[in-house]
Amino acid sequence: MPSNDSVQTLYSDHHGWLHAWLRSKLGNAADAADLAQDTFVRLLQRGEQVQLNTPRAFLRTVARGLVIDHWRREELHRAYLEALAHLPEASAPSAETREVLLELLERIARMLDGLKPKVRRAFLLAQCEGLKHQAIAEQMGISVRTVERYIADALYHCYLLRFEDER
Amino acid sequence: MTAAAPSAKAVKQAIQWMLRLRESGNSPVLLQQCEQWRSARHEHELAWQRVVHLHQDLDLRAIPGAGVALQTLETSQRRLHRRQALKLLGCAAMAGSATWLAKDLDTVSGWTADYATATGERRSFRLPDGSLMQLNTHSAVDLAFDDQQRLLRLQHGELMLTCSDAPNQARPLLVQTQDALLEGFDGRFVVRQARDCTQVSVSHGHVAIHRPGNGQVQWIASGQHWRLDTQGAQRLESVAMDPAAWSEGLIVTRDMRLRDFLEQVSRYRHGYLGCSDEIADLRLSGVFRLEAPEQLLQLLPQTLPVRLRQRTRWWIRVEQVA
Repeated sequence: MPSNDSVQTLYSDHHGWLHAWLRSKLGNAADAADLAQDTFVRLLQRGEQVQLNTPRAFLRTVARGLVIDHWRREELHRAYLEALAHLPEASAPSAETREVLLELLERIARMLDGLKPKVRRAFLLAQCEGLKHQAIAEQMGISVRTVERYIADALYHCYLLRFEDER
Repeated sequence: MTAAAPSAKAVKQAIQWMLRLRESGNSPVLLQQCEQWRSARHEHELAWQRVVHLHQDLDLRAIPGAGVALQTLETSQRRLHRRQALKLLGCAAMAGSATWLAKDLDTVSGWTADYATATGERRSFRLPDGSLMQLNTHSAVDLAFDDQQRLLRLQHGELMLTCSDAPNQARPLLVQTQDALLEGFDGRFVVRQARDCTQVSVSHGHVAIHRPGNGQVQWIASGQHWRLDTQGAQRLESVAMDPAAWSEGLIVTRDMRLRDFLEQVSRYRHGYLGCSDEIADLRLSGVFRLEAPEQLLQLLPQTLPVRLRQRTRWWIRVEQVA
């Protein structure tokens, strides 16, 4: 397998295959075409030499991250509309406000990616509901100390994601 | 990294202060103590500012509607995981996407599962294709098995792979290290990711080295040992230590330098283990049990003119007998 493929060679050799793979995951040709383009754009943006002993495994990895981001947006959108459906109509935000809020939710959901479910839960109870540690401990059936540790861990995790690049 | 970035310790302290203040409803006493901490060092203040900003960015209480933010995030996360597990990976274990995308982009990946051992621990794992993977002390392996290939990435440490002898394995069995991509065909081999190189030893069967850069393949035959680094691949004529013995809980040495031996032993325990220069080249042959590295060290003065100087449990230096 050649290892010095440029993104261009990659594109001509594997674009068709990648599109088909994405289509099988997304079940939708238009989204698949978008994400296939995005995959190659990501590679171009990186600019540096990439490891290409197994170009398709590599492309699939990049594409997989984009598929997950795409799904995350879809799921957030759907869950958000469901949550709003339980509210009285008067208190539902405008369409523009919804877009802004969804972006905020997406940014945070991405940051919290990779946290253990309990850590994530404790953190969200504090951040969304403003609950005290004691109340979170009771709701989750864990000790206050554990709650403190979870929340501190989650914040540190987010800190690293947010500021890592500036180090 | 610039000098301006606060240390991990300062950041964690800032987080503690922030949480304590929040819990106490900004108690004046705590506020004052926090002020003192902040002004004690510039680093503290910087860490504090960053943590406060981060905390504001992550504040979701402003999202209108009781429970809407929490419900949206929790429900969508659950569904997203299920979708990933079902459609993307065929496997329940899953790391985050954005994070690993950024971290793993420069290597072939798509990692679906992690296997790891702690210092001093050794474990065996049966892989999805029936191959047996044994991990030595302090090792970590990521797996990406799909319909194209069976790919293992050795992050650090050492693995022994006994290839499945199931027929018709159309997918290549690959081990990626920092230095090379290896392909196993049959038999059993050991791969170790050392600091500056990869070591491969084949007990039996065949392994191919796919070298990054030239696309050529180098075959390793049964009984051979190779060292791979950025310079290239080099066959080692002899090795002072049986590379596979750890899988049976042993270190087996033949005329091994004492310093090299201690370096091996220190992989299995925490703390410092070293020796003085005068005795570094003493030679050691024998069979040592890995189960209790501390006891193993106690044996040294019985066979070599050395003594152990132990300051704490975690600091041991082997020295010449006076």
